[in-house]
Amino acid sequence: MRHPSMIRVESLGRRYGDVTALAGVTFQVDAGEIVGVLGPNGAGKSTLFRILSTWLAPDAGRARVLGFDTVDQALEVRQRIGYLVEHNALYESMLVEDYLEFIGRMRGLLGSRLRDRVDHVAGVCALEPVLRRRIQDCSKGNRQRVGVAAAIVHDPPVLILDEPTHGLDPIQVKAFLDFVRSLRAGRAVLFSNHVLTELSAISDRLLVLLDGRLVADETLPDLRARAASAGVGLNDLLVRLVREAAETPATGGAAGAEVAEAAVAAAAEKPATERAGDTRAR
Amino acid sequence: MSTVSDVPIPPEPPSTGRAAGIVVARELASYFETRIAPVYGTAFILLANLLFMNEFFLLGTADMSGWFVRLPLLAAVFLPAVTMRSWAEERRQRTLEVLLALPVTPGAPVIGKFVASLGLYCIFLAGSLPIVAMVAWLGRPDWGRICAAYLGAVLLGVLFLAAGQLVSALTADQIVAFVVSAVLLILLVVLGDPRVAAVLDGLAPVLAAGTFLRDVISPIPYFETFAQGVVAFAGLVYFLGTAAVLLASTALVLTLNRP
Repeated sequence: MRHPSMIRVESLGRRYGDVTALAGVTFQVDAGEIVGVLGPNGAGKSTLFRILSTWLAPDAGRARVLGFDTVDQALEVRQRIGYLVEHNALYESMLVEDYLEFIGRMRGLLGSRLRDRVDHVAGVCALEPVLRRRIQDCSKGNRQRVGVAAAIVHDPPVLILDEPTHGLDPIQVKAFLDFVRSLRAGRAVLFSNHVLTELSAISDRLLVLLDGRLVADETLPDLRARAASAGVGLNDLLVRLVREAAETPATGGAAGAEVAEAAVAAAAEKPATERAGDTRAR
Repeated sequence: MSTVSDVPIPPEPPSTGRAAGIVVARELASYFETRIAPVYGTAFILLANLLFMNEFFLLGTADMSGWFVRLPLLAAVFLPAVTMRSWAEERRQRTLEVLLALPVTPGAPVIGKFVASLGLYCIFLAGSLPIVAMVAWLGRPDWGRICAAYLGAVLLGVLFLAAGQLVSALTADQIVAFVVSAVLLILLVVLGDPRVAAVLDGLAPVLAAGTFLRDVISPIPYFETFAQGVVAFAGLVYFLGTAAVLLASTALVLTLNRP
């Protein structure tokens, strides 16, 4: 028996005062799917993730995780998701091991199962050498892995990861992407990133957000086929899609298009090696 | 495509009580990690005990009432320093989003943080036990009165810590949380002074606002009843009822105020 949609988002809308963060976003993610979310800063990625994590309530539409409504059944949703917050907020003064145990306990893990899960996620996230180190003394890469380890410590069926590779060096990025790929079976993974090459490396499907609107929701094979038929690369196709969307009246015309195009182009072309400098030990 | 049997089943989340207990342990540890416990505890105990000992030798009576008389003002300054980080720092560092993404109601961490701060305050109070021993050694203290006074001291802490939690939940700046809490609590203590009540009554005799504020709003008359050895039901209702309202308000603020 096939499982129903793990994530189902219908006409989702959210405003901050006069600013529209999300407008009419609709998509779904099935079990076994890894879906990447791409978009320039302010496109609505984090707002979308915050609604799915139940932190924010939508102004319009609804979101469901494994059939549970994110507003009316928030506890059930929170039980079933692993969530990496944007900028990876952590309790800085805690030891890495204590932090993972704290999150595990708060998620209902007990005794030997808690110990086994902490050992497991420490292993898969390569955190064993820093388990007894304070988080504030860890490198940026290790801190990012602590955040990811905490998000998966309870083995959730749905993973929501907001910029999980931010601050990782290229080797760590590759290891992380391999790790996410290994989680695919039975799970839905939704993750955002500014780097198209990383998203396209493991995603089954890409969602492109611009000014709170979903301007593309296509599988990678379909996108590549479209790019090939248009005689351009995948990056160029996405830039074109964003440009077309940005030029519609709702998003501010050509000026908005240039900003959005530049942001997506930068995301598409930014090599991971440029970000390796972020990973120095603190 | 995956099937139902492939989907991992997450563990059952902890009950509110258990989750609160986990938060208590974590918060108590953080008080020591951040040195709040040793620094504030030492300062509180030294100040409270030295001020009392000065008076103790001048009066020459084996009585602890002088220690409890100064407690409200000391608590109004020291307890906001304990609670100021509770939620303000969680907001500033964005760990609030992590904490409230866990499968527990906001009430669980609110209760957990409150109980942890109350535990720390009780450790502060335990710093006065040498004085109890000294008084017992020098004279024949009224044990019932001392026990009632300690109960009043704990209840005063319950109220002040609950108020501090609420103020901390309203801001992302722990300094603002400290200043606002301290000013609010000092005001509550000052309003309990009969001289202040008399001055306020004198401003508008018909309203008798000073008397009303002293008898109904300020915790001091209730606390003084306990300090005199009387465990008054009205005092229990005042302290516990007000604290419950403040803690429920904290949970509500955390639920509604999400940027």
